[in-house]
Amino acid sequence: MYDIVIRGGLVVDGSGEAGFKADVAIQDGKICEIGQGLAAGRREIDAQGRVVAPGFIDPHTHFDVQLLWDGAAKPALEHGVTSIVPGNCSLSLAPLKAADRKAVIGMFQQIEEMPPEAFTIAFDWTWEDFAGYRDAIARTLSVNVAPLVGHSVIRLFVMGPAAQERTATPAEIAAMQDLLRECLEAGAVGLSTSFVDVDENGRPVPSRFADSDELDALCAVLGEFDRMLQVVPEFYATDITIARIDQLAELSLKHKIPTTFSPLFDSRGNGDNAPRAIARVEEQFARGARVWPQMQTRPIDLSFSLLRPSLFFARLPRWVRVLRQPLAERIAALKDPQTSAQMIEDAGPDGGLAMLGSLVLRGGDAAPPELTGQTLAQIAEARGQGCARALIDLSLEHGLDVAFLAASLGHEDTARIGPMLAHPLVHIGASDGGAHLASFATYGDTGYLFSEFVQKGHLSLEAAVKKITSDTADIWGLKNRGRLAPGWAADVVVFDAQGLARGEERPVFDMPGGGMRYTRDATGVDTVLVNGQVAYADGAYTDARSGVICT
Amino acid sequence: MTDEDAVILNAVVAPGHDGAAELVVSLRHPNGGLETVALDAELGFHLMKSCGVASAADLPGKPWRRILEGL
Repeated sequence: MYDIVIRGGLVVDGSGEAGFKADVAIQDGKICEIGQGLAAGRREIDAQGRVVAPGFIDPHTHFDVQLLWDGAAKPALEHGVTSIVPGNCSLSLAPLKAADRKAVIGMFQQIEEMPPEAFTIAFDWTWEDFAGYRDAIARTLSVNVAPLVGHSVIRLFVMGPAAQERTATPAEIAAMQDLLRECLEAGAVGLSTSFVDVDENGRPVPSRFADSDELDALCAVLGEFDRMLQVVPEFYATDITIARIDQLAELSLKHKIPTTFSPLFDSRGNGDNAPRAIARVEEQFARGARVWPQMQTRPIDLSFSLLRPSLFFARLPRWVRVLRQPLAERIAALKDPQTSAQMIEDAGPDGGLAMLGSLVLRGGDAAPPELTGQTLAQIAEARGQGCARALIDLSLEHGLDVAFLAASLGHEDTARIGPMLAHPLVHIGASDGGAHLASFATYGDTGYLFSEFVQKGHLSLEAAVKKITSDTADIWGLKNRGRLAPGWAADVVVFDAQGLARGEERPVFDMPGGGMRYTRDATGVDTVLVNGQVAYADGAYTDARSGVICT
Repeated sequence: MTDEDAVILNAVVAPGHDGAAELVVSLRHPNGGLETVALDAELGFHLMKSCGVASAADLPGKPWRRILEGL
């Protein structure tokens, strides 16, 4: 008798081949047999009318700290994600000397918007080395974790404060090589670095002080292990991104390593960006280099409040003038009847209905919770005001701490993005799961892949599954994951092909200290198994702690 | 402005990677080369101020080197 049999589903095994109806038997944490009419299991899961696929793999997350109190990386698991890669963008929580914790916390807060309580009340720091961090998270994992080690923390460990002041000496580079080697031996799946990020004081993060000799030396160590280099390039400038693609290609060829960069997204006003980058990637792959661009599936929303000047108003001169004033003067100007009347006039003869009416009140801030999710047009109508007047008054009533969202303003053209996601050299990723907590929800990109791009015919069901399972595992060298085949890890998601999607974004207050983040629930996911144990079923997480550090 | 200055061709507001509004500026260099750069709010407003415009719509035609003023 098997441990578990998932019976009668459409097996989409991650290979990209057509799905087929079969049972999937699981024994001792692994796929044991796939076929029809298999013998009974101690637990039977009815998958009639459902898809049975390998668990999804998210290659770009920042769950480093959340994993210390939440081994399920919620809500990633309920979206069908069974393996995650944290430690991106040059930042990880190890190796890290006790004296440097404050500096790295500051970087996480700045770059990933994590509340300070997440680092001070939710866990005990018990480690300095990578193995110590690995062991600290491994005790309660419900998802599999393939951790990167951050270049910035390696630099900080070796150089101390000088890591943000200068290039490294040959001796320091050698010490960084030794430290990276130690991390890779302890389970790191690669090195992450950044060419763009800054800390909470606006200073470049340590990795940005590295010269090419240092990066080359570290890649030589990656080459010893055939491990990944992840990079954040200067994505705001296409030409520099292309130069980075070339640089990564040389490192890939010289050291025989895979490399990946993120984000790559389709931007209004720069429609050539992604196509040009992908064209360069094609050229470099043709030379034998491995440079995988990571592209997210979800559109990019624009959010703002009147607390800070936002370029959202860049075409409204009087709004710009008012919003760029210091806070006290800004509030006074907004309260001034003549000034606000002029601003409203700028918003159009309809009182801002066309320009502002579709803005959505985000919630999680000082605004009344019952307004969360309503459009400004709805709110304005209820208040008996025009949209611009409602925006100003509502903001003033709550100390300007009222966030609005303009949905899907970037990376939103499915007809353009679908073919890019389907491109064999484009790596679906860049979700940033566990980051940007107070700005937007970084969850549910996998569901959106199916609800938007599969439903609209840009990828087949089988191609979409392959993209976020076996392709990801192959790119990252994750062994025995990403496919449903005998002997492979039993990471499995059972879902409704028609119903798989992401829920609406909503604020929740589940961070340590009651901190807020935006999240999304999953729809259409029935059951998620991690290493042969049911970790999520029927809308609830189980007590299973079967996740592992996977390499 | 001289013949050796890059010129702003277009400026469009778009959401950036972090969900904040960015100013995506298209440039034409003196050698004919085209380039696109995304500026965050601080730099975007700085560019507008340096160019003496109150709206991003008035940026086209202005010299790109103005962004250096006051930095």
